[in-house]
Order: sequence, then C-alpha cells, then structure tokens
Amino acid sequence: MNYQAIWAIYRQEMARAFRTLLQSIISPVISTTLYFVVFGAAIGSRIQEVDGVSYGSFIVPGLIMLSLLTHSISNASFGIYFPRFTGTIYEILSAPVSYVEIVLAYVGAAATKSIILGAIILATAGFFVPLQIEHPVWMVLFLVLTAATFSLFGFIIGIWADGFEKLQLVPLLIITPLTFLGGSFYSIDMLPPAWRTVTLFNPVVYLVSGFRWSFFGASDVGMGVSLAMTLVFLALCMAVVGWIFRTGYRLRP
Amino acid sequence: MTYVPRMQPAISISNLSKRYTSGFEALKSVDLDVRHGEIFALLGPNGAGKTTLISIVCGLVNRTGGDVLVDGHDIEKDYRKVRSMIGLVPQELTTDAFETVWKSVSFSRGLFGQPANPDFIEKVLRTLSLWDKRNSKMMELSGGMKRRLMIAKALSHEPQILFLDEPTAGVDVELRRDMWEMVRGLKDSGVTIILTTHYIEEAEEMADRIGVINQGQIVLVEEKAELMRKLGRKELTLQLREPVERIPESLIAHNLTLSEAGDELTYVYDSQGDRTGITRLLKDIDTAGIGFSDLSTRQSTLEEIFVNLVREGR
Repeated sequence: MNYQAIWAIYRQEMARAFRTLLQSIISPVISTTLYFVVFGAAIGSRIQEVDGVSYGSFIVPGLIMLSLLTHSISNASFGIYFPRFTGTIYEILSAPVSYVEIVLAYVGAAATKSIILGAIILATAGFFVPLQIEHPVWMVLFLVLTAATFSLFGFIIGIWADGFEKLQLVPLLIITPLTFLGGSFYSIDMLPPAWRTVTLFNPVVYLVSGFRWSFFGASDVGMGVSLAMTLVFLALCMAVVGWIFRTGYRLRP
Repeated sequence: MTYVPRMQPAISISNLSKRYTSGFEALKSVDLDVRHGEIFALLGPNGAGKTTLISIVCGLVNRTGGDVLVDGHDIEKDYRKVRSMIGLVPQELTTDAFETVWKSVSFSRGLFGQPANPDFIEKVLRTLSLWDKRNSKMMELSGGMKRRLMIAKALSHEPQILFLDEPTAGVDVELRRDMWEMVRGLKDSGVTIILTTHYIEEAEEMADRIGVINQGQIVLVEEKAELMRKLGRKELTLQLREPVERIPESLIAHNLTLSEAGDELTYVYDSQGDRTGITRLLKDIDTAGIGFSDLSTRQSTLEEIFVNLVREGR
C-alpha cells in the first residue's frame, strides 16, 4: 500500500473543500432551514404525527439522506472529473498507486465531506425540532455506509462523464427524483397500495427507511432489508469500479 | 580480470505497438533502447507518436503489444517500482489553479510514495527559481513559471529517469537556455533524460543520442554528432542583379540550381563539413561577371529532413 499517496490525494481533496469552507457550511444550513420552514412549519403543522413522531422530526432522517446522496455524488464525481478535465490526472496515472488506493483516497475524501455535511444538517435540525436517536451506532453506520456507497457511485459518474452536463445529468434526472419519491418526506404507508409496490423498486426507500429506523426505532421496511440493499448497491458500485480499472475505461486509452 | 556486468538499458522497448480504439495506429512495432545517464532526444513531427511512446512508458496509455522494460522491470507487472523511478513533465501545462506552488510540489512527492522532505523541495524550487513563488497560487504564475513548476513536480520524488515532453514549447529564448542548463545539471547528477522536441536546435544543444520517429516508426537512432552531420545541409541563395538564361560553364562544378525566372542561384552545402565551398563559389561567380543584390542562407527545416528520411527508408 502506498499510504503516502492515499494521504496526499485525500488531503488535497479535503483542502479543496476547506478553501470554500464558508459556502460548504452555510449552504447546507440554509437549505435545511428552508426545508424546515416549508415542510416543518408551513405544511407539517397540518399533518398528523407519522408513526408516532411529529412530522418535523419525521423528515429529519430523510432530509439528511437527501443531502448525503446528492453531495456524496457531486463531491466524488467532481473530485475525479476535475483532474480529468484540467489534465492534472496525468500525475495520478503516472504515479506508483494502485486503483484501490486511488478509490480509497477520492471516495474516502468525498464520503468524509458528506458525513461532515450530514452532521451539520443534524445539528441544524436540532434547532427546529427535538431530536431523538434510538440507535446512534446504527445511525452512524448507515451514515457512513451511504456516504461511501454514493461517493463510489459519484466516482463512477465522474469517470463516465465527458462534459459538465453529464456530470449533472445523473444526479438531476435520477437521484433527485428517486430521493423525493423515496419516502424522505413521507412514510410509504401513506401511498396507495399500487404505488407502494412501485416504490419498493426504489433503492433510496431502503436507505431512508433504515436510517429512519436508527432514529425512531420504526420504519417502512425492515432494518435488515435496508442494510442488505445498501450493501448490494455498494457491491454493485465496487464491481463497476473494478471493471473501469481493469479496462482502463476513460482513464487509460 | 575483473568481471564487469553488462549494464541493462534504462529503458528497453521492443516490438511496441499501439492502436487506439479509433483504429489509429500510433506506434508500429517500435524498438528502442535508452542508456543509463544519457540525454536521449526523440525528434519527430506532430502526430509522429512521440507522446504516445512516452505515455505508454509512464503508464498513461495502455500498450497494444510489445515489451517495455524500465531498468529490467516490466512497466505493468512492476508498475510501482517502474513508476517510482520515473518523473514525467507532460507537454500540456496542466495545473490546479488554486493550489500553491509549495503544496503542489509536496503533493507530487507524497503521491509517489516519498515521505515529506521540505529541504529537498526547497532545493528543487530554488534550482528552478521558483522559491520566491512558493506561496503563490498557480494561476498567478506566468507560462514559463508553470513549465518550471511542472518540472519541479516531476523532480519532487527524486526520479532516476526524467521524461520531458516538448519542454521548451512556447518558452522564450532566455528561459530555454536556463532550462537546457538545468537539464544538463540533472544529467550530471546521474539522471537519465528523454526529451521530445521538434526543434532540431534543441536536440543539437542537449542530446547525446537522437532518435527520429515518424508515423509511429523509429526511422533512425544515432549519436548526435553523426546525425548532425547528416542533417546539417544548408542552402545558400543568391539574388542576381540581372537574370541569366543558364548557369555559366565556369560554375557547373558547383552544382548550382537556377530558379525558373533565372534570377536566383541556389547552392547546397554541408555546414558541418570542413569546407563549405562558399568562398570558392563566390570567387567564381565574381569571375564569371555575375552580380548579386542579396544573399541568404537557410538550414534545411526539420520537416524537409523528415520527408527525406522517410523517403530514404522506403
């Protein structure tokens, strides 16, 4: 293992975020606040408790997941796409680093950033609603697992994309709809039966559900199923990354 | 009698080929050895395959076939060993605009698995006259400084082999001299240097040996002195005051060419030769009573030389 290299890339990626520290912190705080104003105060006041939890508290896990997914993807995809775009990737490719080390560094940095973001959102939410976390260890585990999985997914997009439009395409067209339809802001029990079945094909449902379980001890689908589905998606992303590196796809012609 | 082991070449390339997915054949069965401690210049027109060749050795491009050994190690099987021996300065100036010089060079060193060594980084930056700029962001640097920064990054992990892809493209004359000076210094410290260029002057100034590549094939590899003799053809052109119909008898021996309008005489000579024959020619022209209004000399361009080399190769 070339630990020096992993550390060098990781640190460089983190430094990129710290250069824009203010905007990295302020933007999630503002967007979380907006969600609470709209969903928590304006709409939430008209909604009954969900699963015995006030609506404002109910949306906290979904809200964190929403940001975690989108930011993991955008952090990781930008992290690897940017050096490809500017050409500085030559240095990574000519260095004595293995593919595993490259992934560990880039995905690790992206995941770290979104975990920090998740913590900021959680803290912000604490100002609006009382927080209860029944299974803190599982909460952290889901947080880390989701951040890692979707950073890996973002890494794949960053390698696949050959323009800034494509970089935005997948998050915009697939992830955002899936997250909004994935029970971030409602329990899937609120849906008509037919739609509930359709929803079960949405992987985000399992992420949100498992994460919500760690908060309130209750969820739409079993926590075991949630964990399993997350791990399946993680394995899938790993397989794709493995293929990318074996073939040199878009990295080594 | 003491036994002296035969030193294996720094880089040994055999039968190397590269076909891109587009179908373009960038390298066609290339054989090339680069010796330890030499400066090897790879000359070739644009699109000849210079960058592809370098990119394969440095791990940026996958080969289609053939063998590449660096100090006896296969570039794929022993990629860690091979790549940690090599420093690469690519042709394009690619920099992370917001990073500072110091951080960028330190990053490169870490990336190549070397523990931090601020003293060494300082030495490299001072050698390349970048020390004063160590805290500047890259976007604040001039083109020449960026080029030197790329070299500093390549040297940050103390490589034994340095690739310089068109190191002086777009660099002004003064800076070019400095860069040559620096490359010579590196050679003296034992670094093997491979540089690509399409400036013949650069190869002439720097190289121990020169390889010419064209259309994905090595056309020749030669000691510089030998090649320069071959490539050193120059043309002397005389603008005549009065057009002549044909070359006078007394000048036939000089092998002159007369332009169609009859107002220009061209003489080809070997600038590296002992005698250029120019003095004699001018004397004879004077004797023949031909007056000329202007005179110019021109080195055969590299393009012409390539064309000739490829023609000869056929």
